[in-house]
Amino acid sequence: MTDGPLDFGDPADLERLRRDFRAWLADHPLPERRPDEPVPAFLHRWHRILHSGGWVGLDVPEEYGGRGLTPLHQVAVSDELGARGAPGVPRIGYLAHALMEFGSEEQRRRLLPRMLAGDDVWCQGFSEPGAGSDLAGMSTRAQRRPDGDYLVNGQKLWTSYAQYSGLCLLLARTDRTAPAHASFSAFVLPLDRAGVTVRPLRAASGDEEFCELFLDDVRIEESERVGAEGDGWPLAMTTVSYERNALDTGHLSKYGLLVDRLRRTAHERSDSLPDGLLAQIGRCVVDYQVLVAHARRRTAQRLAGQVAGPESSVDKLLMTRAEQRLYETALLVFPDELHTEGGEVFADYLYSRAASVYGGTSQIQRNIIAKRLLRLPADDRA
Amino acid sequence: MESEEFTLVRDMVRAFATRHAVASADDITPKSRAAAQQALDGLGLAELRRTTPPAATAQECALLAEEHGRLPLTTSLLGTVLLAPELLRLLGADEDGPRLTVALAPDLRLPGPQAADLRAWDCDGAEAALCADAEGTVTRAELGSPTPTADLLRSARQAYAVGEPLGRLAAQDRQRWQGYALVVVASELVGAARSFVEQSVEYARDRVQYGRRIGSFQAVQHLLADATVLVEACASATRYAAWCLDHEPPDRALAAARAAKAEVNASAVEAVYAGMQVFGGIAQTWEHPAHLYLRRVLVGATVLATTADLLPALAAPEATR
Repeated sequence: MTDGPLDFGDPADLERLRRDFRAWLADHPLPERRPDEPVPAFLHRWHRILHSGGWVGLDVPEEYGGRGLTPLHQVAVSDELGARGAPGVPRIGYLAHALMEFGSEEQRRRLLPRMLAGDDVWCQGFSEPGAGSDLAGMSTRAQRRPDGDYLVNGQKLWTSYAQYSGLCLLLARTDRTAPAHASFSAFVLPLDRAGVTVRPLRAASGDEEFCELFLDDVRIEESERVGAEGDGWPLAMTTVSYERNALDTGHLSKYGLLVDRLRRTAHERSDSLPDGLLAQIGRCVVDYQVLVAHARRRTAQRLAGQVAGPESSVDKLLMTRAEQRLYETALLVFPDELHTEGGEVFADYLYSRAASVYGGTSQIQRNIIAKRLLRLPADDRA
Repeated sequence: MESEEFTLVRDMVRAFATRHAVASADDITPKSRAAAQQALDGLGLAELRRTTPPAATAQECALLAEEHGRLPLTTSLLGTVLLAPELLRLLGADEDGPRLTVALAPDLRLPGPQAADLRAWDCDGAEAALCADAEGTVTRAELGSPTPTADLLRSARQAYAVGEPLGRLAAQDRQRWQGYALVVVASELVGAARSFVEQSVEYARDRVQYGRRIGSFQAVQHLLADATVLVEACASATRYAAWCLDHEPPDRALAAARAAKAEVNASAVEAVYAGMQVFGGIAQTWEHPAHLYLRRVLVGATVLATTADLLPALAAPEATR
């Protein structure tokens, strides 16, 4: 970690891309959500508009429907969208990476362009009622039949937007004898297949994002397996490490907008601000600036050739810290949010409470840092 | 600097630090201090920030300050090598006078306008000091008697402004100066916190209680994981702010530097607390270096700008954009 000086600046072609994207945005304003339109349907419409401009899958090779640029280019697009308060690019980057890394050439050519275009909507079937933090405790089974197909039985949970999805990247146990980390395989499961039941769950905010997925004697063909048997665990780990990065998720610019709003409001109400709140807003500014600095440092490290690894757990904890303190503070600055129904800040506040749970809880991130970054010993009781 | 050259300079500072770091508070004597300072002077770093354009970027200076903070050193890299020469450089003064450090307010914050009662800070090897007040007026100060400070590694002395002002920093240069000083001071604290947390991680790998290495206990692991996150936050913030000094307009760089100092004020201390908790009883003794680290980050958090100075300033809408 005794690295030398880094270049924290944007490469020149990134600036150009930002300019092009801004120009495109000027001609393609954000569509209005229709009163009866569910949020995911609206986001899907936005996904297709973005794709029509070539702004989805920038880091995916051209032969798979992308533009063959770098993850930083995709991040720049997310950043520009966040800075306008617009919904981000569809969060399919991690699924695309899983397919690029583990899928067959045929799968990549068939699935990726449709994924990027929004022709297929995907969800992720990893977690289960009995396997949340302990993902390796999954019990959904894919049993090989004599004809080569698999017969899948089990239940998945927290499958975001499964009710709007056509395909699911599913993890199931294919080998009951192998050690946990070599016993899973990944599949592409069409959700209209016989034996699949999707049931939405209502979140604390009232939104229906998460779903349960019930799998009863579902047949999956061998050709629908992604990677070899036993590749499921490394595929899942690749996927979640992409989910953990503040850069990849495009939250940063959204925080920036709220931080600015808090500062302006505090300034306008400087006479009536409760004691200590100004300092707390200042602390949110610090959290935000630290996150910007940290994201830029990671970017610079990536450009210098370092690959994403366990340090993404540091990133996730820093993002969680910033997000949770920011929305707690926002509720103090906008106390009316607690006395209205459906306040936007309050909805985001509730979502911020999930930041320390999704994508691996904060406790799991600390375990990863302790074991893989600090190399602290495992339980070695005699 | 070319990257090979920077690596060379950093390795030189590292080798010097290994040789001249004190193992314990009892090792700090006037003789050890003088020998260490003489060795540092012998490295020939005085010109790093003396010419325009400077030989070393702000980021390189920040990384050297970080390196210097890693071990308990009594030497004045900050005051005499990185800070006072930068003030002379910004003034365009090209005198070869006595060896200078910086003079601050008696509570070690940035001095107010026309402050007369001053405190020279990081004085080892210095014969006089420079004071840049809140309005950018730079005055020379004479050194008086030593004053106590809780940071046993650092020497402070009374100082008195003498003579006509040497010059006045224009608004942008004042922002450059303050931003640079905040970043350099914060970077040394980051080095101290990072190194101390690393030492406590090492200790947790070896120390056995209940028949187990304590680093295998999840309570200890999470303590150290949190400390690591804090150190990384500090490092990202200070290095980015340093880069901003090299590449961004001075007002933006100053905002980044303030945010970095605010993060470090809180998190370097918190990280050292975590490390001390892992060391347990031994870290409460005079002979263990833990309190040298604690004293350094604790006093460091008050140098130039305290958290109470910084947070309200950062909450103002015009601070960054």
